[in-house]
Formats: sequence, structure tokens, C-alpha cells
Amino acid sequence: MASNQFSVASPPTDAISALKFSPDADSTRIVVSSWDKNVYLYDLRDENGAVGEGKLLQKFEHRAPVLDVCFGATEDEIYTAGLDWDVKKIDVASSTQTVLSSHEAGVRSVVFSKEHNLVISASWDSTLHVHQTNDPATAPAVIPLPSKPFSMSLTATKLVVAMASRALHIYDLKALAMLTAQSEGTGPNKIEIEPWQRRESSLKFMTRSVACMPDDAGYASSSIEGRVAVEWFDPSAESQARKYAFKCHRQTADDVDVVYPVNALAFHPVHGTFASGGGDGVVALWDGIAKRRIRQYQKYPSSVAAVDFSGNGKYLAIAISPGFEDGNDDVVEGTVKIFVRELGETEAKGKGAK
Amino acid sequence: MGKKRRGPTLDELMARPWCYYCERDFDDLKILISHQKAKHFKCERCGRRLNTAGGLSVHMSQVHKEQLSAVDNALPNRSSLDVEIFGMEGVPEDIIQAHHQRVVTQFQQAEAERQAVTGNPPPGTGVGGQPAKKPKLESVSDLKKRLAEHKAKKAESRTGGSSGEATPVGAGQMAGQMPVIPVGGQTPNVGGFTANYPQPYGTASPYPQTASPVYPTFSPGQQPFPPSAQFPPAGYSPQPFPTGTPQTYSATPSAFQVPPGQSNTPPQTTGTFPPRSGSLPTPPNLPQRPAVAAPPVNAYQMQQMHMGHAAALNGDKPHAEPTLSTSVDELINGTAKQADAAAAATATAAAEKKTEEKPKKDKSKARLVYSDNEISPEEKMARLARYAYVPEDTDVVAVEEVPASTVVGTNRMDSLGDPADA
Repeated sequence: MASNQFSVASPPTDAISALKFSPDADSTRIVVSSWDKNVYLYDLRDENGAVGEGKLLQKFEHRAPVLDVCFGATEDEIYTAGLDWDVKKIDVASSTQTVLSSHEAGVRSVVFSKEHNLVISASWDSTLHVHQTNDPATAPAVIPLPSKPFSMSLTATKLVVAMASRALHIYDLKALAMLTAQSEGTGPNKIEIEPWQRRESSLKFMTRSVACMPDDAGYASSSIEGRVAVEWFDPSAESQARKYAFKCHRQTADDVDVVYPVNALAFHPVHGTFASGGGDGVVALWDGIAKRRIRQYQKYPSSVAAVDFSGNGKYLAIAISPGFEDGNDDVVEGTVKIFVRELGETEAKGKGAK
Repeated sequence: MGKKRRGPTLDELMARPWCYYCERDFDDLKILISHQKAKHFKCERCGRRLNTAGGLSVHMSQVHKEQLSAVDNALPNRSSLDVEIFGMEGVPEDIIQAHHQRVVTQFQQAEAERQAVTGNPPPGTGVGGQPAKKPKLESVSDLKKRLAEHKAKKAESRTGGSSGEATPVGAGQMAGQMPVIPVGGQTPNVGGFTANYPQPYGTASPYPQTASPVYPTFSPGQQPFPPSAQFPPAGYSPQPFPTGTPQTYSATPSAFQVPPGQSNTPPQTTGTFPPRSGSLPTPPNLPQRPAVAAPPVNAYQMQQMHMGHAAALNGDKPHAEPTLSTSVDELINGTAKQADAAAAATATAAAEKKTEEKPKKDKSKARLVYSDNEISPEEKMARLARYAYVPEDTDVVAVEEVPASTVVGTNRMDSLGDPADA
């Protein structure tokens, strides 16, 4: 392996479901959720502050596999979503877990908006739960969705929810925050809110992942059929004409084009480029504006489950685990790994239009 | 004693696939195709290799929103996108003919050189130059007819004001290379003519041809014509030469003294070559020949010649080419042409056969690694027994009680056929 890449010590024992870098600019903390029912908190820096293979700070056991995880307002605050139908808040300092709400099915994803102090969870019961973190007493607002959500991503102002049947909703976070604040009392608090935009996915197959651009201009989505689409929020005709999709994460073997799902997408916080991770174990960096691939890294031994850039864009974390798509249920020891690449100054920078 | 192998035969050379765009030839069609993909059909923006110029054009417009205007790395006159080329398919017949002619010329040139060096007699040449006489058998009427036709054509093109097209010098690619112009400009017509004309001779003995196309090419500046005009008396009975021909001869030298910029004259000269060239190779002249033919020829000049040639053919296509080819067709010996065509046909057929398999490959089927478009991989995983959630009311209190049976039971049953999980 390249010298600028290292694998994180003591990885989860089962497939990884999500991996997030701390949004803090100089933090090297990573939180990882796994199917082994644990949430892992790593710091890449050792005692001397040198960035290396890092160490496991803490491990939080859950009752069921954890499907998603995210940092909250500070690094000491972690939110998790799991198969036990719960949305939880973990306070790292005290290691306490608090259930924010419970869905009626497994919770697929959870995101935190620091601009609006909202924790939003999406569950296979086809609802979103919107929690206000500054007012934990209020019951979360429940927003019905037309289909099961598969992936969620947000910017400072928008929330993008990708669902089954190629549905995609874009919510205005301000409106969500206001509606949630209005709701009083306890008990389930159902609110019908019209999304800011309803869209159909540009991709023909099931949406696998969605990620928003850091400049709040648009988002990228990926499907199980080796394709990534890049779209813009702006509903004007010119902006919509800019949207495009491209094929990736494919291999030709014996005349058959083997198409892998694109499991993960993540935007670089500084350059606005993005990384995609596929079932083929390949991670590629793309320049969404110039429509070019910047680079592609050497194939990893198993499917890429999650990718994320660090807050300052200097590191790219890649979580690999044998995907379900491979057809092998049993996770062999040592196939679940977290790699961290130290990116060069311009490694993730777009080349600019020619 | 076994006969020594002296390199590839003419037939082998003729059968070699070659690239329309740059006139390189290759050992086999596969290499040609990969050459074309790498040199001519490669996208400069993303490096993608397409199969045809049309494919590249579509790719450029769709992917990069750019318009492809010319084929990369092509000879100046072959960069057009209009001709759809794949391997040897799609090459216009006239270009194929010209190429074959070029191969023949080169081959004979090499042969002549070797003969000059070794002093060996040309293969098949007996004593007294018997075979070399054969070409003369062309009847007087044929010669006259050909001359008349050629003159008529020239006159026509001249009066039509389109002499530039018929005259390769007009195919200005060589502008700025003044010294080359007479050479490059002239050869096209020689080639165009000889492409069909000398082939009958070829069957008799490849030798006579040897010097003929080369000779005029490199001699225009000097005064090779008077001597050559004396050839016929030396080696032949005057019979095949119609009364008209000597006149042309006398006319040509003077025409040549005209500055090379005059583009109309070279064709005239070349028109008179064929009769003369037939007489050139007679054995008595053998010692002289190397001095004329061999030294000036090098690869670069050959290239120049061919480029000029191609330019002429390309430029002529709409107008002059039909007349030229038809008139020539009438003249040439049928058998030789047929043989040639047959060879070309089998070659292209073979090429077709090979290339047919290719597109099939490209249309390979796609296989989705994960093909369930309704249920996400995570949902499937969640249904595995080992991930099943059994609520057991531990430290954390769930807001709503979870009926465990529904979670595990139904989910596991319906989609998982794996007995290991059951």
C-alpha cells in the first residue's frame, strides 16, 4: 500500500454501515457504525499528536446493528440510527445513550444540522423524524414519506432524502425547523409538509447514496447500477440542463460488463470535488464541475462501504467490508478495514476545465 | 540447392493490411485496428479509443460537447471524417488501387536495386530480353486510342478550367516546398495511370515495370527524355510506336523546360510515359539503370510522392476521377485487373470476417452485482437471522414496545432462501 495510506487499528468485527469524520476542521476523529452492533470512535492522532493508524477511543454497544451515525454539535455528541428502530444520542464524555425517538422499523440514516440544531432520522417505516436538539422535551415531528428512504444528506439550508421507487425529496431546513418548533406537547406529532422540491432520480435504478455539495448548489446521487448523477438545486432551466450522470465502478470480464453498486459518495469540503466508493472496491475522485475523474485509487480487497473526507479535507477515510451484494453472508476476519489516505495538497483538487 | 528466400513476395506485400489514414502497413488486421484506435480514433480529451472516426465524432460531441473536424495523425488529404474506415473496410476503391500500385512500385524498386547490386538478371528474364518484348505487343490502334483519350481528357479539363484538379500540383498540400512540387505533383498522374496500366506487364515479368514509374519521377528536372526517346530504336522494332508518339516526345522536353510552376504540363508528359516505359527495361539498358532509378529514392521521397498522389485522387474524386478510371479501365488488360480485384476482394472479405466478430464483443451484456431494484442491500442484511433484533428491554427504554415476531419472522421468510439462516 502507498505510504500515504494507513489502516486504522482495531476495526469493527462485522460489516461497516457508516463512517463519518468529525466536521471540526482540525479534528481527526472518526466515528464508525457497524453491523456488529457497535459504534466505534477513533482518533487518528496518537498521544503525541502525530497522525497515524490511530486508536480506538471508545466503543458504544447497541442492541442491534447500527446503520448510521453522525457527529452532533460537538465532537462529544454522536447520533446513531439502528435496526433496533431507535434514534439515539450518545454523550461521549459520560458514555450515556439516550433514545431520542423510536421509529416503526429500522432506522436507515441520521443527519445533524448544526445551522438549525436539528437531528433528522429516516426509517424504513417511510417516515422522517425531526428532533430539536436544543429542546429535547418536545416530541419529534414525524414527516411521512412516499417510499422507504435509502440515503440522506444535507447542506446548510437543504435536506435531500433519496427513497425507493427513485423518489427524491428536497426539504427546506428552515421550514422544517419552524414546523418542528411549532409542534407542542408530547406524543407522536405528525406534520404534513410539502417538500421544497419533489424529484425523480435521474438514475434508472435504486438510489444507493446521496451527498450534497458543500457550496449548497446541488447534490450527487448514486445507484446500484454503477452510475452517479450530479444535479443542481436551482430549479431554473439552465441549472437543470447542467445535470448529468456517468457510469463508473464497472469491470469487463469475459464479455460481460460487471456493474457494481456505488455505495458511497462524499464531497470534499474545500475543493468541492467528490469521492465515490463502489462494490468493486474502487474509490475514485471526481470533479463534478469539470465532469472529470481526478484519480482512481488502487482497488481495495473488498467492497467500499463508506467514504468521508476530514473537516479540513486533508484526509480521506475509506471503510471496506464485504458487501451483501457479493452473496457471501459471512464476514471473514480481517476483511473489514478502515483506510485513511493522507491527501496531497492538490490530490483532490479539480484540474479545471481545459 | 534450395532457392534462397529473398524477402516477401509481391503477393505477400499486397495482402498486408494498411491504414487508410497514414498509409502504414501492418502484419495483420488486428494490429491495424489497434493502430487506428490508438492513433486516429483516440479522444484527445479523455483518451478513450473509439472504433471509427464517426464514433469518435459522436463521442466528442456527446461527451465533451466538441466538434471533431479532422482525423488525428492522418495524412493531410486523408483526414476527412466522411469516409467511414474500420481496419481495411470502407477504404475507397481508388485509394486501394493507388496503394497497390505504390506497393508494386516499391517492390520493383527494391528488386531493381537488388539486381543492380547483385548483378543478377531479373527473374524470368532469358537471353536476348525476350520476355521484355512482350509489353510491346500492344497494338498500334490501342496505343493511339489511349493517347487520343488522354489528350481529350486533358483538353477537356483544361477548357473546363479545372485543370488544377486534374493536376496534382493543384493539390496544394506541398506549397512552400517548391523543389518537391514537380516530383510530388507529377507522380500522382503517373501513379494514376500506371495503377492500371502496367499490370499486364507485371504478369509477363515484373522487371520492365521496375524502372518505369520511378524513372519519370526523378528525372523531370534534367533531360532524360532525349535518351529515352532513343530507346525504342535500340531495343525494339519501331512498329508499336504510332506516328503520333514521336511528336509527343519532342513536345515533352520543351514542356519540361517550362518552369515547374506551370501545372498543366506534367500531365501531358506523363501521358506519353507508358509507351516509353515499356521500352526502358530492355537488357541493353541495364547497366545504365541503377544510376537513374536507384539512388534518388529514399523513404522520405516515396512518402512525398504518395502524399501527393493521394491528394490528387482525393481532390479529383467528384470530377476527374470517374473519367480517368473509366478510360483507364478500357485500356487495361482485363486479366490482370481481375486478378488484382480478386485478390483485393478476398483480402477485404477476410478483413470483414475478422471485423465482424468485434462489434459483438462490444455489445456485451451487463451484469448487475446487486440487481434487486426494490430492496436495498441493508434491508436484506437486516433480514439475516444474525442481525435480527430481539428487544429485551435492557438499559434503554424504547418509547414503543416492539413486537419481535414480526421483525424477525416475516422478514426472514420472504426473501431469504438461504437455509443456513433459517
